[in-house]
Order: sequence, then structure tokens, then C-alpha cells
Amino acid sequence: MTPRERVLTALRRGQPDRVPWMENDIEEALQVQIMGKADFTPAELCEKLGLSAFGAHYPMGTVADGQGLVTKETYKESYYYPNKLTFDFFPPWIAKMGKDPETGRTYIEKGLLVSDESLVLFDEFLPDPHHPARYERVAEWIKTYRKDFAVFARIRLGAASTIESMGLDEFSYAQVDNPDLIYKVHQRFSEWSAQVVDHLNEMDIDFLWANDDLAGNHGPFMSPKVFRELMLPNMKIVADRIKKPWIFHSDGNLFPIMEDLLSLGMTAVHPIQPCAMDIGRMKKEYGKRVCIVGNIDLDYTLPLGTEEEVDAEVKNRIQTAGPGGGYIISSANSLTDYCKLENVLAMSKAIKKYGKYPLEG
Amino acid sequence: MSNIFEELQAAVINGQTAKVQEYTKSALEAGETPQAILNEGLIPAMSTVGEKFQKGEFYISEMMISARAMYGGLNIVKPLLSNQNIQSKGKAVVGTVQGDLHDIGKNLVCMMMEGGGYEVIDLGVNITPDQFVSAIQQHKPDFVLMSALLTTTMTAMEKTINAIKDNGLRECVLIAVGGAPVTQKFADQIGADFFASDAGEAVTKANSLLEQLN
Repeated sequence: MTPRERVLTALRRGQPDRVPWMENDIEEALQVQIMGKADFTPAELCEKLGLSAFGAHYPMGTVADGQGLVTKETYKESYYYPNKLTFDFFPPWIAKMGKDPETGRTYIEKGLLVSDESLVLFDEFLPDPHHPARYERVAEWIKTYRKDFAVFARIRLGAASTIESMGLDEFSYAQVDNPDLIYKVHQRFSEWSAQVVDHLNEMDIDFLWANDDLAGNHGPFMSPKVFRELMLPNMKIVADRIKKPWIFHSDGNLFPIMEDLLSLGMTAVHPIQPCAMDIGRMKKEYGKRVCIVGNIDLDYTLPLGTEEEVDAEVKNRIQTAGPGGGYIISSANSLTDYCKLENVLAMSKAIKKYGKYPLEG
Repeated sequence: MSNIFEELQAAVINGQTAKVQEYTKSALEAGETPQAILNEGLIPAMSTVGEKFQKGEFYISEMMISARAMYGGLNIVKPLLSNQNIQSKGKAVVGTVQGDLHDIGKNLVCMMMEGGGYEVIDLGVNITPDQFVSAIQQHKPDFVLMSALLTTTMTAMEKTINAIKDNGLRECVLIAVGGAPVTQKFADQIGADFFASDAGEAVTKANSLLEQLN
């Protein structure tokens, strides 16, 4: 099987020849460490590690960083005309952004969508979802780099955009003070993403990856009732428009809202953080309904553990979630620049060692 | 327990700020002491909120809504308590460690600790070991509570504990650590006094340590 066939088979909950590996994101500084240089193609990185798919963003010879400081002054132009290789179609956070001078990491200082009056900010911040430039560039990149790999684009269904652009505190208080505001904010983000999806459906992309963090270790940030009433109908606006396989991503414990989430009809769920969700339970209860992606620990194993611990964890996850197919191995979020390089390479080696079907043991 | 405290507790748990303010004022008018309002109304209500969160009956948003309601009452009784020179149960210095800019977990800990009857000094985010040391020297707290969301910044917790030791202050404070990647094992490794898996547990563990000491 080609890497692409491997991914598409697993996404359909079939059993490929090997357990595929893919990552939602690999931070650029780590990419450079892995490749030993800043100028390489996504396919070269896939070949080096044994990844089956690419998407997200790559430095392509530029200075490795995150996704840059998102400000309303610069976002629209950099969205239409990205200065480095990206397969991301995220709306901006409508928030006051900060940047840590030491690490260069950007962070949200404060959400700005805090009142009905603030909704005018959507017009200032959101790029035109129909602007052809970004789609044309990405189509060109896919044509140039895809080889035998699966290609994904990252989007949002709007939940994370809503929570971050309101701020978790205002988002919480609005649940009692002004629930309609949450609904309206979410709807705007979701309608924007739905229009983006219409374009992505027409492109040579294999699947979409919807990043919408809405949970912590204990459970979703909001009650299942609030999720059902204010979030889910808007997330559905986007989900219903997707005509390709798609993965839903949220950190944290999703079990309390899993049935609601599955009603969106995603192909797979990611990243099944081991500190928040038991992958054995996930496989047993939901493995026949949805493909499972993730679960290699990013709190301890990849950044702090030993190569032997990485090997043991990969073996364990493949044994737990791999049988029968429908499992794609991945870190329990993304490969961050604080993962040990030797552990990432150990992960690559272990996946090759234990991932061949029929599985051992 | 009189009816007013039951109502006050229910209003906090249900996140009804206006009602909490109203019941707090009514209780004061009826001759209840600020101390009683705190100990029989606000604190047990937030303790129930913490328990509900731990049991999965409450979610973070609901905890924040309850905390806001609790502050509706606390902000009324706090000046009265300080007028009467009534000491809080204990004092806690709270901060997110150096290199880490996340504040949600830290803010929840501040809210729950205040709701638990503690005086809280919120240092903010990206707090260096030296800043923690200065805060201990200045405020003389019973507890130092450190938060980190990133695995990389967890190492700053150990550095902070070492700085506290180097300045001869380790015996003066009880140190707790928490945050998504933090575990009991890690807390033991770096010599923290306790680990809390969530904001409610920070309060219950602080309470039991204080009980042991007294």
C-alpha cells in the first residue's frame, strides 16, 4: 500500500498493511532538528520519519517559528498570501495577542468578543473565505509535493474560535448572562469555515482535520447541555458541508459528550490524550463507529521519557487500538519543539517495528 | 443552619450573583456576622462546587459561574472582616511558573482558594523563582501554589523550589504544584508538599494539611 492508501484505509476503519503514523502538527523548530536543515519538502520529512500524511505548515527554508503573530492588521494579507508553506485554513482568534519575547510563542491575552457591540470585529478580522489566492497557492503546493502521501488541510468547526475569542471567563459568564451571544459568535465562525470547506471540497485534498479544543483533563469546558444547545448546532453547519473524510480534534476528556460529537459524522477522533481518556475504552466503545488517532503521551513520554519508554508505549498502543485496523498512531496532540529528538526517532522506529499487520501478540 | 445560609449556598452553587448579593445583605441586616456568612454560606457552597467538579457533575464553566457568584458575596463581607481584624484561614501565594503564560488553571485555583476562605495573592503568569521568593518574603504566606500547563515549564517548578530553599524559606511554606501535565510522581520528585489534580482538590488538600499542622 502507498502511505496515502494506508491512511485512507484506516480512516474507513479498515485494516491497512501497517498502522499509519501522522501528526496534526510538527513544530517547525523540531522539523529543522529532524531534517538537520530548514529547507526540505513535506514529503522529505514524511520519508525521513515514516509519516503517511502531511498538512499543517513547514518552514521551507525560512526561519522556523510557529504560525506568526496573528493581528488584525496583518492577518488578512498573510492569510491570502502566506509567506511559507501552509495547509491551514483557520480563522484568526479575535483577541488581543501577546508574544513571549524569549520563546517567540504567541498567546491570547484577552478575547475581544465580549458583547453584542463587539460583533462588528468579525468584519475587521475575518478574511474573505472566497479569496482565490490561498486556495491557488495550496493547490500548487499539493501538486508539487504530494507524491504518494495523503494530504490534509486543517480547519475549525468554530467551537475553539468561540471559546478563545470570547475568553473562557466571558464564555462561561455568557452562558447565564447572554447565551445568545455565544450562539451568534459561534455561528459567524462556523459559517466562515463552511464557506472555506466548500472550496476545500473541490481540491485534491484527502481529508480535513478540524481542530476545536473544547475540553480539559476532567471533561468539556461547558456542560453537555450547553454544548448541545449552543455549540453543536453551529459545529454541524460546518460538518454537514464536508464531503471528504475528516478528523475531529480536541484535547481533553471527550467521553461526557462523545455521543453528541459523533452525531457530527466525523471519520476519526484525535488525539485521545492518555491523561484524560483511556484508549482501550475508546476502542471498545467507539472503535466500530469511528477511527481512532493519537494517544502517544506528550506530557511525559515524548518530552521527558527514555527511548525505551517510547518503544514500550508505541507497542502498547498498537496492541490496544490496532487490532482490526481503524487506528492511526500519533502523538496525543502534536510533535512540539520540546519533544526529545531521540524520542521522536524512537517513535518512528517502534512504529515500523510493531505496526505491521497481522500484529504480533 | 438557618434558612438564609441554605439559600445563600444554593445561590452560589447555581451561579446567581444578584441573589448571592441580596442574601448576603439580608443576612447582615438580620444580624449574622461576616464570619458566619463566610463559614456557613460561601465556603461550604464552593466546597460543594469543588466536589461536584471532581465527580464530573460540574464543568469548568459552571465552576467559574459559581465563583463569580461567590465573589458577589465575598466582596460585601471582605471589608467588614478586615475592619474587624479577622484573620483568614491562611494565606496563599499563587502563580504560573516562569516561561508559562497560561492563566486559566491558576485563576481557577485562586477563585477556589478564596472561596475556601483563604487570602490569595495572585502573582500572575510567567513568575520567576526570584519573584516567588520575594513574594514569600513580602507576604509571609502559608502556601505557595504553582501552576504549569506545558511540560517544558514544569522544570521551572523545581527551580522555584530550589530558589525557595536557597533563600532559607523552605520551612516557612507548604508548596503545591498542579496543571495538566503535572502528576503526583513529579510533585514527589521535585520535593513539593502536595499535588492537586484540580482547583477544588487544591483547597481540600490545603485544608487537611492545615488541620494536621494545627
